[in-house]
Amino acid sequence: MRRVTPAGPVRLLAVPTAVITGAVLLLTGCGSDSDGRAELSVRAAYIPQPVSDTMAAGFLTIVNKGGTQDELTSVTSTAAGSVTLHETVGSSMEEVTSLDVPAHGQLVFKSGGNHLMFEKLKSKPVQGGTVTVELHFAASDPVEVEMPVESATYNPKTGH
Amino acid sequence: MRKKTFAVAALLTAATLTLSACGSGDSGSSPVAVVSEDVKQQAATVLDQPFPKPDLVLTDTQGKSYDLRKETAGHPTLIYFGYTNCPDVCPLTMNNIAVAKKQLTQAEQDELRVVFVTTDPDRDTPAALGKWLKGIDPQVVGLTGKFATIQAAARTLGISVEAPHKDKNGKIVSTHGTQVVAFSPKTDGGYLLYGEDADVDDYTKDLPKILKGANP
Repeated sequence: MRRVTPAGPVRLLAVPTAVITGAVLLLTGCGSDSDGRAELSVRAAYIPQPVSDTMAAGFLTIVNKGGTQDELTSVTSTAAGSVTLHETVGSSMEEVTSLDVPAHGQLVFKSGGNHLMFEKLKSKPVQGGTVTVELHFAASDPVEVEMPVESATYNPKTGH
Repeated sequence: MRKKTFAVAALLTAATLTLSACGSGDSGSSPVAVVSEDVKQQAATVLDQPFPKPDLVLTDTQGKSYDLRKETAGHPTLIYFGYTNCPDVCPLTMNNIAVAKKQLTQAEQDELRVVFVTTDPDRDTPAALGKWLKGIDPQVVGLTGKFATIQAAARTLGISVEAPHKDKNGKIVSTHGTQVVAFSPKTDGGYLLYGEDADVDDYTKDLPKILKGANP
């Protein structure tokens, strides 16, 4: 198992997208896409301090630098009775059983879109703390992530 | 995403140019100017035709009858439709408003009416609503009642909410509104709409204007 500890709040702006787009172009140009494994890393993980004592949302970005797609199949945490994957469809949340992590791409959880839903939390996550989760994939090894708890109004675009 | 970022486009354009330059050997073209513009657009949509305030009588968190038009007449008012079992957008929207509100003077805060109408009235009893809103801002008015009444009121503001239903795992799926409607204290008309990506800074900037019924 790999342990990923995001170093503080990660500011995800357009630059990483540009870099990734650049990389895709480059690889397409070379025509070499022979890497047969997903190479996963996690960034921009956070949990906004919830209002409820027992329920929270969590967000992160899973980056796949490899040439093969993978699938996030479940998330577990000792801090919560259940962690489920949700997609936002219109203005409803729909639970899904898995989400794709595309080759040379990323799976993004962000407010108003995909989110992790923590239920039956053993204690209320408080700003400044962390919640540890384990991400499970169809092919890759599980990845442990320490998700920092940010303010209730945290906006990853501005970093506060 | 409201921030227009041209960096990506610029980079892509540059890459394309480079590639085509290799093929054609056209050395006459100069590189395009890299535009680094980062314009944050106005969060509010100003309505040409304001919405009348819904004629809505529901139950507040004290279990008392609350007549929306009567209680909020002449007050700057924000209305949002959501539910407390919502982990993401509903608490974020309400907290964004609450944090921005705390930056007003106490008198201004007392003048403002922030109304949270549940879209999940079976689970959001007055007590449940009251407990949740206390964790956000005790001044927020929480309203519950018959779903049909709530849905009809939302519809008059162009907000569509569906009745809670169970998914295939037996979990209740509710819907929240996608917009916050701001009503002018001068006309009582709903003249501004805020989408889900309006953040604390947007509300902080706009609330003083809304208090006067002015456009942000």
